[in-house]
Amino acid sequence: MVQKRFFAMGCVLAALCAASGSPSFAQAELTTAPTPRPAPISSDSHKGGTLRLAAQNSGGTLDPQVSYISLIKQLETPVYDGLLAFPKFAGSAAQPVIANLAEVVPQPEDGGRTYRFTLRPNLHFSNGQVVRVEDVAASFRRLFKVGSPTAGPYYSHIVGADACLHDPARCTLAGGIETDPTTRTITFHLTQPDAEFLDRLAWFHAAILPASTPPHDTGNTAPPGTGPYRVTRYDPATGMVLERNPYFREWAHDAQPAGYVDSIQVTFGLDPEGEVTAIENGQYDWMYEDVPLDRLGEVGSRYAGQVQIYTLLLYYYAALNVRMPPFNSLKARQALSYAINRHAMVIYHGGAAVATPLCQLLPQGAPGYEPSCAYTKGASPAHPLPQWQAPDLEEARKLVRESGTAGQKVTIIAPLEGRYAAMAMELRSTLASLGYDTSVRSMTQTVQFPYVQNSDNHVQIALTGWNADYPSASTFLQTLFTCASFRPHSDNSPNMSAFCNPDIDALMNKASAAALTSPAESRQRWAEVDRALMAQAPAVPLVQIKRVSLLSKRTRNAIVTLNDEILLSQLQVR
Amino acid sequence: MMMALLRRLGQTVFVLFGISALVFLVFFATPGADPTARIAGRNASPQTMEKVRQEYGFDRPLPVQYATMMKKLFITQDLASYVDRGELVVPEIARAAPVTVSLVCGAALIWVVLSIAMGTIAAAMKGTWVDRGLMMLGLIGISMPVFWLGQVANLITQSRYHDTWLFSWVPGLGYVPLTENPWGWFKALVIPWIVLAVMFIGIYSRVLRADLVALSGEDFMRTARAKGLSPTRILLRHGLRTSMVTFVSLFGLDFAQLVGGGALLTEVVFGLPGVGRLTYQALTNLDLPLIMATVMYSAVFVVLANAVVDILYLFLDPRVRDAR
Amino acid sequence: MTAEAPPPPGPWRQAMRGLARNRASMAALAVLVLITLSCVLAPLYARDIARTDPFTSNVAGSIMLDGHEVDIMQPNDNPLHLGLSPIGPTGHAAYLLGADSQGRDVAARMLYGGRNSLLISSCAAVLCLILAAAAGIAAGFFGGLVDAVLSRLMDIMWAVPVYLFAISLSIVTVSQGLKLGPFVVEADSLLIPIVIIALVYVPYAARPIRGRVLALRQAEFVTAARCLGVPRWRIVLFDILPNVTTTLVVLGPLLMALSLLAESALSFLSIGVQAPAASWGTIIQDGEGLIYTRPMVAIAPGLAIVLVVLALNILGDGLRDALDVRDAARRSS
Repeated sequence: MVQKRFFAMGCVLAALCAASGSPSFAQAELTTAPTPRPAPISSDSHKGGTLRLAAQNSGGTLDPQVSYISLIKQLETPVYDGLLAFPKFAGSAAQPVIANLAEVVPQPEDGGRTYRFTLRPNLHFSNGQVVRVEDVAASFRRLFKVGSPTAGPYYSHIVGADACLHDPARCTLAGGIETDPTTRTITFHLTQPDAEFLDRLAWFHAAILPASTPPHDTGNTAPPGTGPYRVTRYDPATGMVLERNPYFREWAHDAQPAGYVDSIQVTFGLDPEGEVTAIENGQYDWMYEDVPLDRLGEVGSRYAGQVQIYTLLLYYYAALNVRMPPFNSLKARQALSYAINRHAMVIYHGGAAVATPLCQLLPQGAPGYEPSCAYTKGASPAHPLPQWQAPDLEEARKLVRESGTAGQKVTIIAPLEGRYAAMAMELRSTLASLGYDTSVRSMTQTVQFPYVQNSDNHVQIALTGWNADYPSASTFLQTLFTCASFRPHSDNSPNMSAFCNPDIDALMNKASAAALTSPAESRQRWAEVDRALMAQAPAVPLVQIKRVSLLSKRTRNAIVTLNDEILLSQLQVR
Repeated sequence: MMMALLRRLGQTVFVLFGISALVFLVFFATPGADPTARIAGRNASPQTMEKVRQEYGFDRPLPVQYATMMKKLFITQDLASYVDRGELVVPEIARAAPVTVSLVCGAALIWVVLSIAMGTIAAAMKGTWVDRGLMMLGLIGISMPVFWLGQVANLITQSRYHDTWLFSWVPGLGYVPLTENPWGWFKALVIPWIVLAVMFIGIYSRVLRADLVALSGEDFMRTARAKGLSPTRILLRHGLRTSMVTFVSLFGLDFAQLVGGGALLTEVVFGLPGVGRLTYQALTNLDLPLIMATVMYSAVFVVLANAVVDILYLFLDPRVRDAR
Repeated sequence: MTAEAPPPPGPWRQAMRGLARNRASMAALAVLVLITLSCVLAPLYARDIARTDPFTSNVAGSIMLDGHEVDIMQPNDNPLHLGLSPIGPTGHAAYLLGADSQGRDVAARMLYGGRNSLLISSCAAVLCLILAAAAGIAAGFFGGLVDAVLSRLMDIMWAVPVYLFAISLSIVTVSQGLKLGPFVVEADSLLIPIVIIALVYVPYAARPIRGRVLALRQAEFVTAARCLGVPRWRIVLFDILPNVTTTLVVLGPLLMALSLLAESALSFLSIGVQAPAASWGTIIQDGEGLIYTRPMVAIAPGLAIVLVVLALNILGDGLRDALDVRDAARRSS
């Protein structure tokens, strides 16, 4: 689901800008509180000031192991750290994970079943406590105790995780995580090799928290973290304030750079139109939401210098239920793929500068992406073209005739929100022109997303989007199209097409396994999977979109990373 | 008197129970309303779903769930949203209420003053073009969809003529707390006040005029005229005072409805984070705890206002008092 | 009541005569007829004049204007090439009022939208009157337990602000449709807004009717009929109902005006008429996203609503004066 958006990263400046915190902030319970030393004087004059952000709504809980909302993730990226991190700098080199709280990225041992980390020394939480290996182990146990959304999909390969999933309250992860305080080592044992284990240790939910953090969702309280900022005020209705963490010393600039501004103030409640006006008038520095479509022209002409446009690992697609007529017919599915006008879809998102037509299941930027379009004028699954050209209505009508499905009733289930509604109408027009009796049912996204996953609701075609938590092919292909990810009668069954093909599953397993030994081979195999899936057309990919982010005139140093989008800690204000 | 009050109280409790039970049942009968998957997060494992289901008690019988929810809402007040995990709903309403109250009070002031003026003038000049003109204005006010009027107001003040001297003072959409910046509060609310008041000015001035005109035929008005009192004095001292009974009761009900969330269209159009918008968001997200809380909040207001109006009637209008 | 004699030519014809003399009412009636007619002729306009299909998305299309081919969605002129805007009012038969964000002809959609808006509001008003008459007469005439149950039910409905009530019902039904035993109502059926709007206004209409019936029950001719042993259903049908009709007739246009406003509000919140069908409310909603660039899309349907509601209110006033019904509902909110 597209929870609006997720992730990016980058960082470039090498100035050490640790905060000068007041000792009075240290909390009572701390045991080994060091006296905060004055920060090293930086020659960088861009430090200081207050960054003012605006977002339409708050995102609920602040618990970094529970929240799955991109706003919270983006705001808390400079608050929490994992053992590893996605690089905080821009560019194509920013792909593999790097060491964060750990000293180095370990080599897998035991055929990918064991990983040994050494914790950096002298790291402190924002309450002054030293980060110990026990905190690391406790944080992974807590993932299961609080029922983190990714506990199952991301961390269940750790030895003992199964027991934790079944009985979270008594989770020990015995045999899964071993710690040695004297050498500061943490050893993970996996039940089977996991090609993405390191990415998952860098993922937001694997944040390291004090062992004393309560084993339940902390809600509106943010537990202490290790990053350059800490949350000092949070009111879901009005706003949030982040201030410098007095105990933060930069340990690895590429992994968690020190921040520039002294505090970050977030205001909730403005709608995107109001946010654009306020940023144009200099009342805010950045808005979380996209610039609304009807303001793109104005922003592009009068504020072009304040705009950041960057690609996201996010695309929209129509999932076709392969177990229900008419889309249980391959020809009917292919017909729709040929007929859909992706140029129109691009227009709904603001034109070619903002969106790109997509006719494959791996988006640009994901590992294994090789441009390929099987369903466009002049192409076929056997002879794909590198790019989408134009819809092929003749071919589509021919396929519908052959499938014998013309005239059947089709109901599109789409989210109510603006651009989805427009895309759903376009889809409806296309299906109608192919001779189907088509209607659209809309519901809010929060309701629609679980609804279309549940096979009991007999959804024929669902309009939705998918984004990656971190760049990986499996997020798009394995999560969405394997036999195992189809869970009948459950609201949580991301394989909305109910697609299950053991041959393709086997291909995916091979591609996944190859990642441990030969990343290049793995990428090549994922590209093959992508093409093999598209030949079966279990979904109609529509567009991949870019984010259009508006900054105020006084804001500088916008660093856009693939995983954490714009790095808030690196923004400077004049 | 005591008995009447007690009976009224019993009825109120009954109505509140009826509404809450209805909301609860409708929610669980709606397909796609099961909040487990939404709370657990996308692609959560079946075990995590199971944990959430137990933690939130979705596996228990409906009456137990209903009782738990009522307890959490009214007694412990720690009912949390199903959509924004961890967000408590009672403080959320407590934060939204001042916004709505600010909006409605300002609008009420405008509509009461203007409608009394318009209604009285129209009644005094009955049959003239002033009367017809004012009443036609009122009718136009009644006929405008409030959300559309709000949009047009936004178009004029925020976009088209924002750069002219006339509207350059209008701040961006949104709410400014009174305690933070009274002048900003006023500036942010002035246009929403007027837009919300327009329809009520129409209704109230027409009702008032009709009442005044009807009263002029009554005996006590004729007596007053016979005593030689001036027409203005008769209209204001006798007519207006008597008409106020209807006016006040009408006002009580409308005011309560608006404070209880009936102003949601105005709130939506002007981006005011009030109770109405909160209710609307809760409804569209099928966020049961928030729906329950907001609906209870608004029902309490409306039912109380009904009761107050009835009791006021009892005191104000001897005819009703004797009829009981 | 034993009146076998033909009813005197009296009250109804007199009322109609009074109405005919009321110039404002006649003008309102003319406006209503005119708007209704043009909406009825929507398919003709779309096919022969505008030559578009107002229900098909057409963002990638183009039209001929003065011999030039013009894109319906025009790229904005800015260095970043951000965004596109739909074509504005053209002043030609095609896209007279411009296009909406899906490249559809706004003028043609206005006419089709008017059909739905008028149909829903008139049906809702009629249905509401029937329900309210049934409830009001039952409560007023039978009293006792019936009255108590109905009144409590009304209390519950009354305790939630009207729009909130309508919105709740719509949200539940609009995404799922309705299944009542063998009857299945599709989610995009117009029946859903009709029934919902009718339902939420029942308490408003039932109250004055109940009051009127309460008064009638004490009337001499009803007492007389009772004493004569006339069955109760006959009294209701032949004595009470005819005397309530004036109230119903006066309430009719007012309720239709309220229904039209409610329909537009629901559609504005996307829980009334479902796309691609249009109503004036949905067009205002489409226009909301274009308010800064193409304000006409939102303004035109709003003006249509104001015109029709105003005409209905004037007509209602005229009827009230002509029929001399004083206590008909004057509330709306």
